Amino acid sequence: MSLLSPQDEQVLKEHLSAITKPVTVLLFTQAIGGSESGVVAKQVLDEVARLNDKITIVEKNFILDLDERAKYGIDKTPAMVLLGDGQDTRMRMFGAPTGYEFVGLVEAILIAGTGNLDLQDETLKLLAAVDKPTNIQVFSTPT
Amino acid sequence: MAYANPNITSSAIEATEFMELSRRFRVTGVPKTIVNDTVEIMGALPEELFVRTALQIPDDSPTP
Repeated sequence: MSLLSPQDEQVLKEHLSAITKPVTVLLFTQAIGGSESGVVAKQVLDEVARLNDKITIVEKNFILDLDERAKYGIDKTPAMVLLGDGQDTRMRMFGAPTGYEFVGLVEAILIAGTGNLDLQDETLKLLAAVDKPTNIQVFSTPT
Repeated sequence: MAYANPNITSSAIEATEFMELSRRFRVTGVPKTIVNDTVEIMGALPEELFVRTALQIPDDSPTP
């Protein structure tokens, strides 16, 4: 059964039509010892990818794909890494992207696929001046 | 923010799925933002204030 209704799919498809660059979402899951949310994450991503041919989902094995885990700094599952035009956007998501998290997923895909940031000029100047590694973690819940 | 600068990495974390991490950072409400494991921002803030708080840039300092 689909998680997205036909109406939701139509609205989402229109939003995603802004994408101009290929977006790849690397989904790290683990079959053994992994949570059910990895299965949910896969279904959500597949449903989104079906709406736009520039979006590709690539599943990675958390236990076996150690080089890529290290490359993208993945320490828990399910984890999503967003690539825009093959380049790391440094945007990550952990946990099933449902509820409010789903909105975040769509926004991240749009940023990766358009390069457009909906931020004020002042904010962009502040961000441009960051010269040391900065790790931002945002905790949220689906409801 | 991460997309704007290669020095920045951002993670959206589903708090109820990663309880140990949520406990470590005392996530008692959402959204809660943690920067470099030390700076804590509870709730949502206006954009510029959020960025200044996250990056520890005083309000009265000029934009670069």
